[in-house]
Amino acid sequence: MAEAMGFFTDTTVCIGCKACEVACKEWNQLPAENGGVRELSGDSYDNTRKLDGIHWRHVRFIEQFKGPYDGRWLMMSDVCKHCVQAGCLEVCPTGAIVRTQFDTVVIQSDVCNGCRACIAACPFGVIDINPVSGTAQKCTLCYDRLQVGLEPACSKACPTDSIQFGAIAELRTRAEKRVAQLKSQGVAAELYGADPGGPLGGLNSFYLLVDKPEVYGLPRHPELPTTNLAKSGGLSVASAAVLGLLAIVGLRKRRMDEQSRGGGGNV
Amino acid sequence: MSDTFFSGAPHWAWLIILYFFVGGIAGGGSLLAAIVDWFGAPEDRPVARTGYNVAAVGAIISGALLTIDLGRPLRFWHMLFQSANFPTLMFKGWSPISFGAWGIFLFGLFSVLTALGGMAEEGRLHNPALRAVGGAVRGTLAKVVGGVAGLLGLFIAGYTGVLLSVTNRPIWADGPWLGALFLASGVSTGAATLILLAPGRGATEQSLARLSAFDTKALVVELLVLVLFVASLGAVNRVWLSFWGLVLLVGVGFGILAPLRMHAQRRSLAGAARLVLLGGFLLRLATIFASEGIERYRVAAGM
Amino acid sequence: MGSNMAECHPVAFRWPMKAKLNGAKLVHVDPRFTRTSAVADLHVPIRAGSDIAFLGGLINYVINSKRWNTDPFFKEFAVNYTNAATIISDDFKDTEELEGVFSGLVKFSEPAFWPYNGLEGRYDNATWQYKRGPRPAPARVEITRTTAAAGAITKDLIAKRAGPPFDDLVRSLKLGPAEKDPTLQNPHCVFQILKRHFARYTPEMVEQVCGSPKEKFIKVAEMLLESSGRDRSSAFAYAVAWTQHIGRPGAGVMALRGHAAIQGSTDVPTLYHSIHGYMNAPSALRPHETLRDYMAAETTPTSYYGNTPKFLVSYLKSMYGAAATTENDFGYDWHPKILGDHSHIASFAAMADGKVKGMCCVGQNPATSLNGGATRQALRQLDWLVVKDNWLTETATHWYLGPEVKKGEVKIEDIKTEIFFFPSTQIAEYDGSFTNTQRMLQWHSYAAKAPGDCRTDSWFYHNLAKRLKKAYAGSKLSRDQGWNNVSWDFDPDAGEEPLYPGEISARKVLREINGYQTADPKQHLKGFAELKDDGSTTCASWIYCGCYPAWDQNLTARREPDPPGVPGAHLKWGWAWPANRRVMYNRASADLKGNPWSERKRWIWWDPTFVNPPDPKTGKPVPKGKWVGYDVPDFGATKAPDAQPKPDGIGLDALSGTQPFIMRADGRGWLFVPAGLVDGPLPTHYEPHESPIQNPLYKQQTSPVHKVWAPGKPYNKLAVVGDPKFPYVISTYRLTEHYLAGAMSRWLPWLAELQPELFIELGKGLAQEKGIKNLDWLVVSSPRGHIRAKALVTDRIGVMQIAGKRIHHVGMPWHWGWMGLSTGDVVNDLTAWVGDPNVSIHEGKAFVCNVEKA
Repeated sequence: MAEAMGFFTDTTVCIGCKACEVACKEWNQLPAENGGVRELSGDSYDNTRKLDGIHWRHVRFIEQFKGPYDGRWLMMSDVCKHCVQAGCLEVCPTGAIVRTQFDTVVIQSDVCNGCRACIAACPFGVIDINPVSGTAQKCTLCYDRLQVGLEPACSKACPTDSIQFGAIAELRTRAEKRVAQLKSQGVAAELYGADPGGPLGGLNSFYLLVDKPEVYGLPRHPELPTTNLAKSGGLSVASAAVLGLLAIVGLRKRRMDEQSRGGGGNV
Repeated sequence: MSDTFFSGAPHWAWLIILYFFVGGIAGGGSLLAAIVDWFGAPEDRPVARTGYNVAAVGAIISGALLTIDLGRPLRFWHMLFQSANFPTLMFKGWSPISFGAWGIFLFGLFSVLTALGGMAEEGRLHNPALRAVGGAVRGTLAKVVGGVAGLLGLFIAGYTGVLLSVTNRPIWADGPWLGALFLASGVSTGAATLILLAPGRGATEQSLARLSAFDTKALVVELLVLVLFVASLGAVNRVWLSFWGLVLLVGVGFGILAPLRMHAQRRSLAGAARLVLLGGFLLRLATIFASEGIERYRVAAGM
Repeated sequence: MGSNMAECHPVAFRWPMKAKLNGAKLVHVDPRFTRTSAVADLHVPIRAGSDIAFLGGLINYVINSKRWNTDPFFKEFAVNYTNAATIISDDFKDTEELEGVFSGLVKFSEPAFWPYNGLEGRYDNATWQYKRGPRPAPARVEITRTTAAAGAITKDLIAKRAGPPFDDLVRSLKLGPAEKDPTLQNPHCVFQILKRHFARYTPEMVEQVCGSPKEKFIKVAEMLLESSGRDRSSAFAYAVAWTQHIGRPGAGVMALRGHAAIQGSTDVPTLYHSIHGYMNAPSALRPHETLRDYMAAETTPTSYYGNTPKFLVSYLKSMYGAAATTENDFGYDWHPKILGDHSHIASFAAMADGKVKGMCCVGQNPATSLNGGATRQALRQLDWLVVKDNWLTETATHWYLGPEVKKGEVKIEDIKTEIFFFPSTQIAEYDGSFTNTQRMLQWHSYAAKAPGDCRTDSWFYHNLAKRLKKAYAGSKLSRDQGWNNVSWDFDPDAGEEPLYPGEISARKVLREINGYQTADPKQHLKGFAELKDDGSTTCASWIYCGCYPAWDQNLTARREPDPPGVPGAHLKWGWAWPANRRVMYNRASADLKGNPWSERKRWIWWDPTFVNPPDPKTGKPVPKGKWVGYDVPDFGATKAPDAQPKPDGIGLDALSGTQPFIMRADGRGWLFVPAGLVDGPLPTHYEPHESPIQNPLYKQQTSPVHKVWAPGKPYNKLAVVGDPKFPYVISTYRLTEHYLAGAMSRWLPWLAELQPELFIELGKGLAQEKGIKNLDWLVVSSPRGHIRAKALVTDRIGVMQIAGKRIHHVGMPWHWGWMGLSTGDVVNDLTAWVGDPNVSIHEGKAFVCNVEKA
């Protein structure tokens, strides 16, 4: 496997220009919703609202104001996290979701049959159906570009280098330096998803945030969906055993005296 | 706030709800049929045959619902075989949707075989090929095939809940009881279906009374599991402060409490059974849509 | 300040963000908390239309600060590199003495032949001039001249038709030396005038006028002082020409241009008032009767502009080719002269009066432009209209989809205009060059061929010109001789395949702009130093001379960046005018002796040991010493820091080795502007024409020379001061997601979905007062009209305390119209035909409105 590649997104220099969103759509030939004819969302400058099958990049706008001109406006370009332990890949029943030689997670659109298990499995709400293909889609970290030595379209288009692409190990070093710089300036900056010992084995798209992850729409402790499997399965088996036993006991062939009492309904 | 609120809804809607409902009935019916077949009296035979038929028809409907629901229905087989390496099998033992696909496939196979056997026994098969297949499934083989179908039915009734739990969605993944709950509901609705359909195949009063007595127990188990399920959700229960919470309440009231009361008062078996079916449907409706309907992030921000 | 750089120039904003990563502080002063504010270290709210009060406050604060008065760097820079020490005429009177106006204000009467200047008053700048002593004279030149009026020797040279060469004419224009006081104590020196002028711009006054909290204002001033000095520098985006930092790396006033190539469109201009290379357009209102009159009026003898005759003659040779001869003054008499203000609004005011018969709208969408109702009324008076664009714009469809037609106020059958639509290519579908905001030319090649009949703008004008040439070929009328003599040779040469049938050769155009030896067009000019005033050189735009130094050497196509880690000027990436310099006036990056002000801020410096080769022309040895560094020196390359001006020298010979501002007559940066600005020598706060308050600073409410076009016309009604019907201050602005009038973005699904509808941003306070909820439909009105928009309620804009009044500020992006995927009402239907007198820019960023629920 080649070196693990990914994104480091420094939200402190994001200017919310959405060039990443457009560059992504242009490269991946994703349609605009309803052909581009839409209504104003009223949610700050965010009119695409979320990541989904035709928005593989999304810029979030968070207005935090105490009064007129008194506050801050956070912006963050969000994308698939390319989790080292990926829930979508885990549950995919067709084998459409694979891990590439760049340690990225890619949905093969020609294999996916649109069962949508991956959508519910992703802790970040990244994946959705692309209505054109009828399959689940998300950021591929521009797998096609990576294979020929190009950087992904979004980071290439990002004018302020808020989105940085590179080898994960190197990005982590860079990110830690930036956090130290911000902390020395009195900014409460933290990395999200940069820790290989953290949730999901670390995220190959990680972020520098200046507020709690929830503020940016990110779960604090993302988990694999299968963490629930043993417990849920075990309890199901237990209840199956109980009900099975009850059924065998209730429906078994009766001795004559019981039968003469006219049914066993009052057990 | 639960981290599940940051995930996206998989748009599992009416087709999937119907599948969960029909699959549960088929699975429950199959289980009860097999138990009657193995442990019951000879006069319970119509109940068993009804159960196997319900299982077979239910399995076929389930398969159809699941396939139609796919974004690309013609690729349904990608869940069973590796599309690039056909006929290598596609199976993930840790993914409910993967082993569930196999479960549904095998359940369909065994329940249809069993049903064909039953129909051959009654002489109701006219197609020579079907008659040949049905004729082969008899005696001990029929019992074994029926038994497997029953066990698979138990699986089908329960795995759908596990499937929901093995996600990152609100409600579904917030507690571990959904598999058990759906299983109990599947068995209770399966029993209710048999109560409604078996008389048409000549089931006796006694058979029906026993089924009804069992259904009471199943409903009690279901109610117990439901309480445990709701308790396990903790703060997430705020989600029920919605239309779907009302639906759940109606489902519990009409689908569990009312039938229990009717059983206790020895009132109409059929009426109680119909209510159980309604309750089973509303239970799935509420649990699916309550989670599906959450507008992610926005609710999260408000929580 | 006054700029929303992150949203309007996201690509260039890369560099402020890089600076931020290096620890730079970013301050944003704006009526709205924008995406620029979001990444700034400090945002300061300011009422639209009060920038000068804020900047004046900064000047006042800084020059009275302890730091400025104790750190010798500041005075050393100001005394030597600016005109701070220069003494101004005794007759000058400041706004302090005349209640808000400067001396020289006279009444302006509109001339009957072109009554569209929009002026009521104008300044005679005679009293703003430097006080000059008698000049120790070489015999040939007039002894003293203290005004701009041509002297007797000049008149004599004009009468004799002297030249070429025109050196004597230029020399005759020299003025006596300006008096200076390096101690800055003389009450008539620029510094003292400045100090008095800005004394009333106190932090308290700034708070009153701008609504900017005093503490925040002082914080900005302190931050500015902190980041100034030998080893620090600051940059202003869109501020006035006042800073201690011009010519130094990481410093200066950034002219952020509105389009990708708008810089190019003023260099080789589509402007009415200048000809190529920022020479003034010959005008019927100025003493421009003959070639020599023009030269006498327009040449600054003691700066690089002393070479104006060379620029002009080479330009005329490019215009008229072989027909331009010494005998006919290189065809100067054929050159059109302007009659007055022909800017955008003035032209539409004339059009509304039926004075304009036809119009070519190429890549422009005026139907959604300033005072949209008036503009569309003007368009309806045309006999013919050509629209050439990528889509059917509002301008192409106003006659059947415009709001007046939809409302039934105008009947389609009453519109007599014949409208032609030409489909246009996109930028990636043809070859050409961009000139970006850094004055850098970058060649681009087409990426794909345009579909169908789409053609380039150059194709359109080239083929139009060829047809007009043919149509007028037989004319003997004297008015047509200019056109008939215009040289027009842009068809591709044999062997060069045109991109589209009938397309020009874009390279040929750039070659013409670069210039060549008239006798042999294959011999390109290597730089503007080679230009001659005798017709032997041909050059369309002198400032671009050198971008194409040989027939096959297009420097604008270079793409070689400096290696990483070098504080490079990237001299091999594209080509920047003038002469590939990346920082203008960069002599100022070194101190008087030619050493860098600090190692951290070194850019170019004097290397006294450099051994120069002999002069290539004369073969004479050149003394040791040269300006070296990262950039091309914007100075005589071998002119020593201790060089003295030559007594009878013209051009750069008239400047010393310590006068870095080589385009200025005194080689210094102008803190006080004696000529060139028509509204005063110093920035002064006036209220916008439509303002909620009386001017707190002066009795004079608005600039006495500001422009109101079509005054009193029903389609240009204006609100009175403090008009209760229009109580809110409104600014119109742009969003990152859309481009100008929207023709390049509202039709594009990927951009349309990002900003799908028009909105008005208003504060939570105003929303509460009016019972407005987010996304409610609102009606926004001004005296010109009313439009509908959805409410975007936010704390990013809000209420301010202005001169004791609580004033709500609202804002609207103006990209919309009725065509395309993303549609909305035309915000410019609210704006007025009011503008500034220097560049005729409208006042659509600061006026008043009312907001009601729909």
